[in-house]
Amino acid sequence: MNIQAIQILFLKDLFLSRRHLFAYFAGGILSSILICIPNPTVSFIGFLLIMTVAIAAGIHLIGQLLLAETMDQTRLFIMSLPVSLLDYSIAKISVVLTTYLIPWSAMFSCCVIGTFVLPWAKHGSVVVLPALFLFLLCGFMIQLVTAVVTESVGWTLCVLVACNVLLNVFLMKLLTLPEIEAAKQSDIVVWPNVILVLVAIECLVILGALVAALVFQTRKRDLI
Amino acid sequence: MNSMDTALHSNEWALALRGVSKSYKHFQLKNIDLDIQRGTVAGLIGPNGAGKSTIMRIMMGLVNPDHGSVQVLGKSMSSREALAKQEIGYFSEDMRLYKAESIGWHMQFVRSLYTSWDDGYAQELLARFGLIAQQPIKGLSHGQRVKTVLLLILARQPKLLLLDEPTNGLDPVAKHEILIELMRVVKDEDRTILYSSHNTQDIEQICDSITFIDQGRVVESKNRDEFLEQWRRIKVQVPEGWEIPKLEGLKIESSLRQHRVLSLCRFGEEVPALLSASGATVEAIEPMTLEEIFVSSVMLGRERVPS
Repeated sequence: MNIQAIQILFLKDLFLSRRHLFAYFAGGILSSILICIPNPTVSFIGFLLIMTVAIAAGIHLIGQLLLAETMDQTRLFIMSLPVSLLDYSIAKISVVLTTYLIPWSAMFSCCVIGTFVLPWAKHGSVVVLPALFLFLLCGFMIQLVTAVVTESVGWTLCVLVACNVLLNVFLMKLLTLPEIEAAKQSDIVVWPNVILVLVAIECLVILGALVAALVFQTRKRDLI
Repeated sequence: MNSMDTALHSNEWALALRGVSKSYKHFQLKNIDLDIQRGTVAGLIGPNGAGKSTIMRIMMGLVNPDHGSVQVLGKSMSSREALAKQEIGYFSEDMRLYKAESIGWHMQFVRSLYTSWDDGYAQELLARFGLIAQQPIKGLSHGQRVKTVLLLILARQPKLLLLDEPTNGLDPVAKHEILIELMRVVKDEDRTILYSSHNTQDIEQICDSITFIDQGRVVESKNRDEFLEQWRRIKVQVPEGWEIPKLEGLKIESSLRQHRVLSLCRFGEEVPALLSASGATVEAIEPMTLEEIFVSSVMLGRERVPS
């Protein structure tokens, strides 16, 4: 493994995605500001925008950094340079993940801070945020594995649609649970067991997807 | 260590392929053996879909063969891919650069991966090819794009150049500029070039040795001069019911009434006498161009091994 080559490839992709990264970061911050405004309609729009930014950023970054390299035939150029398949795979998956985590972290942090800082927000409602944001990250990781395995825009979009449907089902079920309802109304942060279990499962899915993406990518026999 | 292993590990060879096979759904590369000597310019000629690009991609480690071994500059491509690629410059007509970025950005990027990058030479090539460093890739013509990729390859001074159809679709001036630059590279005796094309004129101009491939097989591999010396076109006048003498590689290219045009891949002094003995009157014996040799060789190969 050539750490220097991985760094160079990582920085190259970070540079190439700089404009979109900034747009998603700004969009995330703006959505988080809207969600903190004490008006139910504006706050709901902010929530919808957060979901939209998280989903759009995920599919766009996967498309731009991973799938476009195959379609635009720039991968042939990159793989003609002194990098191994392992170097390429590590750099590629790291950069896709990092570029997604930047707006994701910004939105997550803003929402957590808002919950504690805003006078009308109940501190207890913060327990929903890790489960929700990790669910979004899970969806992104599953799309990433799909893109790595199939190298197909069509299949990745199919998985995106499935993840979105699941997200709605997940939110509907989660927010109607009595222990969640109680936690949301509380001024003290109490972590219900269901949240802890969900977070643990989501972390496992993310880790599993990350390992799967790396394994599938490095085991490819033909890159072109 | 047997003789084959010795050849694989010898410093004499820049490239050594042994029994390389690769199967796709509609195409097979069959048992390719190919040696390219260090410091030479080798040509790989084949019709479209013959397997030239697949061979090049296997040499670069971009495609893994199903069977066989690949040694590039004494290193195994399967285990030391990145290290081997430090010394290889690979061009493919399918290769694309990042459209939104400039030529200069690509130069900086490639320079960061190579210690051998020569900035002075890069600037020289930029001027010689008439390129502007600030120009974004998306505005370049096909010829400028090819020159940019070649600049990025040549400025890192690779020991081995794998050029897959570099002059395809270029205007005569751009083609000339590129061939001139490659001839400059060849002056360095330590550098090896493998040049694939279906254009025999380019190959004839710069290559020392030539390999014909067709339908995933090596048809013939020889020194360029041997090809030109051994192949002959023979025009004969023949009597009614004439039968072609059994001579290896002798083939009727065309027939018109009593006239036949034959091609022969191993011409010797005894051939005219043999033809006369068969009843034919030899009208002319002519040398063949590399393109004619290529076509005859491929057709002969197809007759021997039906697809």
